[in-house]
Amino acid sequence: MNRKKKKLLLGVEFGVFTFPALGFVLFATIIPFIMNLYYSVFEWNGISQEKTFVGLQNFAKIFTNDALFLQSSIFTLRFSVFFVIIVNVLAIAIAIPLAKDKRVTRVGRAFYYVPYIISLTAISLIWKFIFGPGFEALFKLTDWNFFGWSWIGTPNLAFYVVIIMTVWQNVGFYVVIYVAGMIAVPRDVMEASQIDGAGKWQAFRKITLPLIMPSISICILTSLTFAFKLFDVIMVFTKGGPANSTVSVAYNIYKEAFTNSSYGLATAKSLVFFVVVLMITLIQLRVTKSKEVEA
Amino acid sequence: MRNRKIKWKFNWFLLVIMIVSLLWLMPLILILINSFKPYNDMIQNFLALPKTISFEKYIETWSLFDFPRLIGNTLIYTIFTVLGVVVCAPMAAYKLSRTKTKYSQFVFTLIILPMMVPFQAYMISLTRFVSMLNLTGTRVGYILVNIGLCIPLATFMIHGFVKGVPLELEECAYIDGASKIRTYFSIVLPLLKPILTTVVVLDTLATWNDVITNQLIVGSKMNAINLQNALYMQFSSQSADWEHALPGIIISTIPSLIFFVFMQKHVVEGVTAGAVKG
Repeated sequence: MNRKKKKLLLGVEFGVFTFPALGFVLFATIIPFIMNLYYSVFEWNGISQEKTFVGLQNFAKIFTNDALFLQSSIFTLRFSVFFVIIVNVLAIAIAIPLAKDKRVTRVGRAFYYVPYIISLTAISLIWKFIFGPGFEALFKLTDWNFFGWSWIGTPNLAFYVVIIMTVWQNVGFYVVIYVAGMIAVPRDVMEASQIDGAGKWQAFRKITLPLIMPSISICILTSLTFAFKLFDVIMVFTKGGPANSTVSVAYNIYKEAFTNSSYGLATAKSLVFFVVVLMITLIQLRVTKSKEVEA
Repeated sequence: MRNRKIKWKFNWFLLVIMIVSLLWLMPLILILINSFKPYNDMIQNFLALPKTISFEKYIETWSLFDFPRLIGNTLIYTIFTVLGVVVCAPMAAYKLSRTKTKYSQFVFTLIILPMMVPFQAYMISLTRFVSMLNLTGTRVGYILVNIGLCIPLATFMIHGFVKGVPLELEECAYIDGASKIRTYFSIVLPLLKPILTTVVVLDTLATWNDVITNQLIVGSKMNAINLQNALYMQFSSQSADWEHALPGIIISTIPSLIFFVFMQKHVVEGVTAGAVKG
């Protein structure tokens, strides 16, 4: 009897401590996610009372009969390749001279970090201004055709606008991780290589690069997840335009639900999207766990 | 002699680094410079410093937007979100890391599960769920959602930290007759201060800068809109009004920048931990 009572008391205590957090999480993420599962097998416009059960037809439609989804997947893949390569190469290049624990280099690192902590509204307006009136002014000044192009209005160029903007915003984050990795490279190894007559480039390629491999794999995976999830920037800045040339997968889902009112189809798409991102995240967790890297 | 020469060269190198780093912020600097100019001047003298520093456009922007209310809203959101997270997350994290049962493991998994699920995969149903509860367009609805979105990562981070806190202290307090609740508040919570600071910094920045969640939950309801969302609503449609957009950017960004300058270490730590693990 007494033991039972004690057990009950422990249970209540556990509940008191954990329920508030659990409640919030259930409310904001888990219940909506379960609703997603439920809606994905219906055809529904999101408003009317009637839902038609269609089984897996929504999923079939995504892969066979959805040109825009295909286009957005291609955009997302292409964006991922460009973003991952550019942001990592650039971050390593920036990190090399900054990888010293000095006050000046710390300030330098902070400069690169600033775009990462200001809001997306500000970032998208900044670049809208630069590529719009800014380039117009520079065109008048220099007469270079480069500045005269309509960057935001041309499908092919808008892709690069998105790349430039996201790289500018995110590079500071990767610089911080690479700098941490490079500072951790033992100094005596570097000195030994210098004594042995290795040049700077040789030392970088043969010593620094292999030793920062953990940072590199983490950065590549993190940037890959970011690229796959690309949404905020598109929603705030290009809105998928011009001519749907910058619609990412996540933005395609959003539009399907709120512009096209195909609620069932949108939830089905978001599940497909979830599975793809989950796979990358699982690989990422594996890598992060096996190579604990301190930032 | 030789030594001095090396030192001199070294400083040159740093100067170059500083200039290049500063160039990276050029877009932001150009916004600042041009925010003081009338539109014609922006186009004519894009790169030049403003002829006169006049705050006329800033004052116009300020009255155009009802900034006191927007800043008030955003502050309320930030304070309540941080408060909610700081009350709920450490409690759960502490109990979950000290209880070694299957049930506890399950609850922990449930709480940190959203870290693995991209927000975009459930945001549509989230807006649906919020409107089913009649919370769309309300301050309460937005705050509740925001707390829920911040808790998984916070719990995860604190959970990791608690594992490193020795059990003996709690046992001592317990033997001395302190209740579980009392032990938590007077022994455990003060020990968690370093990680709580990181959590606070992370969630403050996230809430202050949030556009997407506010857009989804509040939409264009003027009384519950936050600062970033208001700017977004105003200038994403009619981008021609640069004379007021630029001061708006600067006004909304300055608090983040000041915060960053003073909390730099915590910001970098928190944001990096959040993004790598999340």
